[in-house]
Amino acid sequence: MTGVGRIVLDGRPIPYEAGDSVAVAVMRAGEHPHHGGTICLAGDCGNCVAEVDGVAYVRTCQTPARPGLVIQRHPAVGAPPLRAAAQIDVTNPPPTRHIPVQRSEAEVVVIGAGESGTAAAAGARRMGRSVTVLDARDGMEAVAIYAGPTVIVRTPDGMLHIHAEEVVVATGAAELHPVCPGNSLVGLVTARAAEQLHTAGVDLGVAVAIGSAPGGVPCTPVAGSLRRIEGDGRVSAVVTVDDDDGDGERTTACDTVILGLGRAARDVLSRMAEDLPVSAVGPAAESFPLPAAPTAGTVCPCSRVNVEDLASVWERGFQELELVKRATLAGTGTCQGSVCLPHVRAWIAERSGEIPEPFTARPASRQITLAEAAAGVHVDAFRRTALHDEHVALGARMDRFGGWWRPWHYGDHVAEYWAVREGVSLGDVSTLGKLLVSGPDVVEFLERLYPMGVADIRVGRSRYALLLDEGGHLIDDGMILREAETRFVLTFTSAGAGHAEMWVRDWIDTWGLRVHVLDRTMSLAAINVTGPLAGRLLERIGLPSPPHFLQHVHADICGVPCHVMRLSFTGEMSFELHHPVDRSVELWRALLAHGRDLGIAPHGLQALQGLRLEKGHVIVGMDTELDSTPRRLGMEWAVRMDKADFVGRNALARTGGLPDQRRLVGLTMPGSAPTEGSPIRSDREIVGQVSSSFTSPVLGHAVMLGWLRRTPFPDTVEVDGRPASVVKPPFYDPEGSRARA
Amino acid sequence: MRALETLSGLRVVASPEALDGARWSEGTIVLRFAPDDAFVPGAAEIQVTDDHVIVVRESGFVGAWLTADQLAEWVLPHIEWPMPEGRPALAQGLIAGVPAKLWLDDDRALLLCAAAYAYELADRLG
Repeated sequence: MTGVGRIVLDGRPIPYEAGDSVAVAVMRAGEHPHHGGTICLAGDCGNCVAEVDGVAYVRTCQTPARPGLVIQRHPAVGAPPLRAAAQIDVTNPPPTRHIPVQRSEAEVVVIGAGESGTAAAAGARRMGRSVTVLDARDGMEAVAIYAGPTVIVRTPDGMLHIHAEEVVVATGAAELHPVCPGNSLVGLVTARAAEQLHTAGVDLGVAVAIGSAPGGVPCTPVAGSLRRIEGDGRVSAVVTVDDDDGDGERTTACDTVILGLGRAARDVLSRMAEDLPVSAVGPAAESFPLPAAPTAGTVCPCSRVNVEDLASVWERGFQELELVKRATLAGTGTCQGSVCLPHVRAWIAERSGEIPEPFTARPASRQITLAEAAAGVHVDAFRRTALHDEHVALGARMDRFGGWWRPWHYGDHVAEYWAVREGVSLGDVSTLGKLLVSGPDVVEFLERLYPMGVADIRVGRSRYALLLDEGGHLIDDGMILREAETRFVLTFTSAGAGHAEMWVRDWIDTWGLRVHVLDRTMSLAAINVTGPLAGRLLERIGLPSPPHFLQHVHADICGVPCHVMRLSFTGEMSFELHHPVDRSVELWRALLAHGRDLGIAPHGLQALQGLRLEKGHVIVGMDTELDSTPRRLGMEWAVRMDKADFVGRNALARTGGLPDQRRLVGLTMPGSAPTEGSPIRSDREIVGQVSSSFTSPVLGHAVMLGWLRRTPFPDTVEVDGRPASVVKPPFYDPEGSRARA
Repeated sequence: MRALETLSGLRVVASPEALDGARWSEGTIVLRFAPDDAFVPGAAEIQVTDDHVIVVRESGFVGAWLTADQLAEWVLPHIEWPMPEGRPALAQGLIAGVPAKLWLDDDRALLLCAAAYAYELADRLG
């Protein structure tokens, strides 16, 4: 065994010579890097892909051989194993390689350093423009062009994202592969590949050339058109027919068939960049003649599509190129149509009489790993409230809700629940949306925006409000608090705050009203002090006369300036203390300290969801659907149709008299709560589903909200195989006396 | 990466014309987030002609002053958008995937973001 080094192929070492790619080294050893098919050695096809050092679908013709490289050929049938999923412990994925990304800017990017690319680069430089030239042979492999245009480049050092003013694609042309019976055998090479192999000293054996013969390669030209290739695994002969009469097959014995069948523009990058300042030059821009329409054989080796498959989908009505692509998957594989596209176009042209345009190209043009695709991409940033570390220190299990990290529970959600129902508890509600709106037109604006009355809210008072879209569907809810004649605070749900701010600003602009908006969502923290002892706690620490229900005041609590809002989502007396985020820890700790003898404890979202459910309060997005109207939600009390106008009024007026088969209802049943999402059955048919459920500690049975979708709405249904009663919420303290206490 | 510390100041929302003509405390930097929205770290007072102006104490941002070299080393590799050319300038966008802002002067820069994003930004910038 000679050579300058060795690589490992399927577990055994093979030598390679200086300058060898992996594919050349494998062929030098008398093997095929895949399991057959034409080899181009130009990176155009998928016939040499293999697993290289644990990464599947690597084009071995583009991979320089180096000592110790481990090559594992893909299975002859089926996909290579997914290593992460094949291991025993899928929760402990293998270490991944961090792929760095660099970003740069360029006036002109030229992709391809061949003749046309070099000329294009020189021309741009003569015009005084800075030029960046990328060539895969130099390790700078352009794999995608996105809007911008932004060129995505794979380099030996990671990924490079280049923002360019102009991109020139000078990627040349690819050689056509044969489509005929036997075209998946070992021993087929394109003319340019034959030249490379001959130069590298690879023995091709008895070689014959079909079409244009390569220069300097010992081979026997065979006249006529290719009919089929014969052999058992490997090529043993090629069969041609006379071009003049199409008759008279001629069989020529050989070890290698060299194919010079023509070329096709290597234009996948320019085709994925329509409507961008991206142009193609040289052969990449040429319109080469299509090959003869294939009659048999594998058309798309990547997706294993043959001529019979094309005929099958054509007969079923898929008679456009894009449809044929989707129905057969031809062109969706490793080479993205580089091999099959000319043949499929020719095949369709013969049937339709028209040559179809090439199908759409999409990034990436080459196989890239997930790490390469994700290089420089960040996961969503989840916000932390100012109390995050306090929650963690108290043993909270934190989770993501509505774009924030929030405490789900502190170890015992039932104990947290009872702290609210019987004592006093703290909840971190800093995540609520908070807008401050002010201006001479602010009352008119809010009257137009909200479906309930606003003008009659007195200073120092507040009102619950729905936010509807033009279709009358609920998109959010919250409170309106009047601070002055022309100044209000609006609150929204945590998850809906961002959209609500845009919604508010958009309507102000649309109506041309004079209203200023300041989003204070992330500037103000908020702590909900709730429970029958909440008022007593506040009396101790700076608020001798806490506001009554739906009133609000500004006051210093433990020295921290607070906007104190008397509301209730839990069903108990509740005070939301909105305060500057940089004072939140100080306030939280003071409240816990002053409430210690009252048994104060924090509660998490798990307890809160049960508390609010007992009161029948909906959570937008959980209990509502995209087309939930106030009527469907049983919340028509929150809509004043006697107002002249508001967003959604026309839709509600139009649909209000129509029959409606959907309703959010309350449900109760003995025992524990069923899983949220459980189907609701009536007369053995599914008539809806549970949106929220909770085993109520105070009531001793399950309470639920759920959607019914069939009229007449039944009084009793079946959930989780048990009978449940349809009732009107709230389930707990229906008079609201505890919240108003 | 340097620690991000609370930036206290005034937040002002008024008509663009009123903000254009506003008078601020001497030596303060006015971060004009939008034509009608400004944050002035360190400011104690403002004179602005708008009957419905919103002026509030703002402590919802954190930030750190960086030298030009620190900016280049710690922050710029995480920015995908082009920097404004003039100085001083305010730039706003995702930095390492986190909503953030940069106030750029000739030889220094103020990196700031909402306090709620402080952990993520600092963690991602290393």
